[in-house]
Amino acid sequence: MRPFAVNRIPRWISGAVLVLWAFCVVYPVFWSIMGSLKDNQQFFNGKAWALPKFPLLWSNFSYTWETYHFGRYFVNSIVVTVGSMALALLLSATTGYVLARYTFKGSGLLYYFYISSLMIPAILTLVPMFFLFDTLHLTNSLTGLILLYAIGALPFGIFVIMGFFKSLPRELSESATMDGASHYGVFLRIMLPLAMPGLITVSIVNALSFWNEYPLALILMNDPGRYTLPVGLAVMQGEMQYRTEWGPLFAGLFISMVPILLLYAIFQSRINEGLVAGAVK
Amino acid sequence: MQLSLPEFHVRGDCMTAAWKRRLFIASFVWPTLILFLVFTVYPVLRGLHYSLFDWSGSAESMDYIGLRNFKDMASDPVIAKAIRNDYFLVFSKIFGIMLLAVFFAVALTRLKLRGSKFYRFAFFFPNVMSVVVIGVLWRFIYNPKLGILNGLLSETQGKPVETPWLGDSSYALLALLPPAIWAGVGFFMILLIAGIKGIPEPLYESAQIDGARQWKQFWHITVPLVWEQIKVSIVLIMLTSLNGSFAIVSVMTEGGPDNATQVLGYYLYQMGFKQYHMGYASAIGIVILVLSLVTTIMLQRIMKRDSVELS
Repeated sequence: MRPFAVNRIPRWISGAVLVLWAFCVVYPVFWSIMGSLKDNQQFFNGKAWALPKFPLLWSNFSYTWETYHFGRYFVNSIVVTVGSMALALLLSATTGYVLARYTFKGSGLLYYFYISSLMIPAILTLVPMFFLFDTLHLTNSLTGLILLYAIGALPFGIFVIMGFFKSLPRELSESATMDGASHYGVFLRIMLPLAMPGLITVSIVNALSFWNEYPLALILMNDPGRYTLPVGLAVMQGEMQYRTEWGPLFAGLFISMVPILLLYAIFQSRINEGLVAGAVK
Repeated sequence: MQLSLPEFHVRGDCMTAAWKRRLFIASFVWPTLILFLVFTVYPVLRGLHYSLFDWSGSAESMDYIGLRNFKDMASDPVIAKAIRNDYFLVFSKIFGIMLLAVFFAVALTRLKLRGSKFYRFAFFFPNVMSVVVIGVLWRFIYNPKLGILNGLLSETQGKPVETPWLGDSSYALLALLPPAIWAGVGFFMILLIAGIKGIPEPLYESAQIDGARQWKQFWHITVPLVWEQIKVSIVLIMLTSLNGSFAIVSVMTEGGPDNATQVLGYYLYQMGFKQYHMGYASAIGIVILVLSLVTTIMLQRIMKRDSVELS
């Protein structure tokens, strides 16, 4: 450690602020887990920060899973997330590859077209999308939602994946073409495997946003059998006006969070990299 | 003769190669482009179109009314309030998030404090949570009788506090800020950390030798050299706030009480999907688009001048 000319006191204050903020971030999550193990009695009579009493009410989880259909929502969320992840990858890797390695009529225009669409607020398309889905008979169809999410993620995906393909040495594809490999062969057998880190990064960042998406799922999935977790959780909270089941609500909260928590714990650095790459254009 | 034959052969080969190339490019570009046109470009154009109609959403009732939706908006007090609230949120978030994000980024890189890896991991965590999860969590923190906030206040004041933070129009809008800042700081901190790490260490070292204190180093080295990231962050906070405030408002307050937390995004949803004024809702969407474009340009102008001054 270099001896920086930092006063002791500002250093202490900085350290204290960091600890305080870490507490503010971690505690609510911990608190929601504690809440998911309490019954109503403990919510109404105990202090808000009291730990749950024994025996812990694990049944809140199975209750939410079944009675509030979180099992169903969970499966829907998984299907939509995985489906749109795969589709987004296919659509953005192909276009990103061609834009990075080939020059053709309109290639520059196409690039700016995709990038500039990042400026369009998604909320603007809420009404037209509702009617477009209606016309195409995609309302309440998870396939429709998959399609929509995948396409929404295109500009980001194309941009980041292009960067990865561009960084690969040109000699690689040239020598392969000399050896008689087709354009598809070069893409599939040489370029795609080399760009794998980029593809994974994009996919994980996409997965987070698909799992969490709320506005479009809210207006396009009206059948409770088709709700994703965010919609299901919001609806459940709405129902708390009529019946108070705080324990199960927290259990639902936690169920929605678990996969994200795991993904984040495993891929933290990739997620950071991907988001930084996507933001600084 | 004998020489020109292979030449001809080569040229023929080139033609098919060019076609192969063209086919390959087309097969990689068009499927994506067509889907993109149908599900992004078409809805945007359709939104522009709808905004010129008085329309409840059913097929028969579509009346062309020109720009009347926009005229109506000018005299709609809720629109004025929503725009005010939106910009209040935008500027408060820019201030709150940037202050914390810059502080954390500097503290975790330049001050060489211990545990920076852990802090980076923890601080970013709220960014990966769904807005719905954040909203439900914070609604409960604010819960008048059961929430942590009033629990703490009751404890410190020695008497039961039951302020309905989200139900009282004088607090509700302010109460939307902590969750938004809480959930936003991490991402911008990471962005700034990446920027600061890109600054060559010798710059700091020579400043060190010249006796520049941390504070001076911060203003003369760090800020000018991460100005690009700061600019991007401020514009992104503005855009995500204008376009994304729908979700948090929808989960936490539904625009209430008495439109105290109304924002354009939620008003669009309410007009369209609760009161079935689809034309009016589309027109609100256009206003959001125009406001985000204009604000982006303005912010970039303002910050460009600063960047010249500093560097």
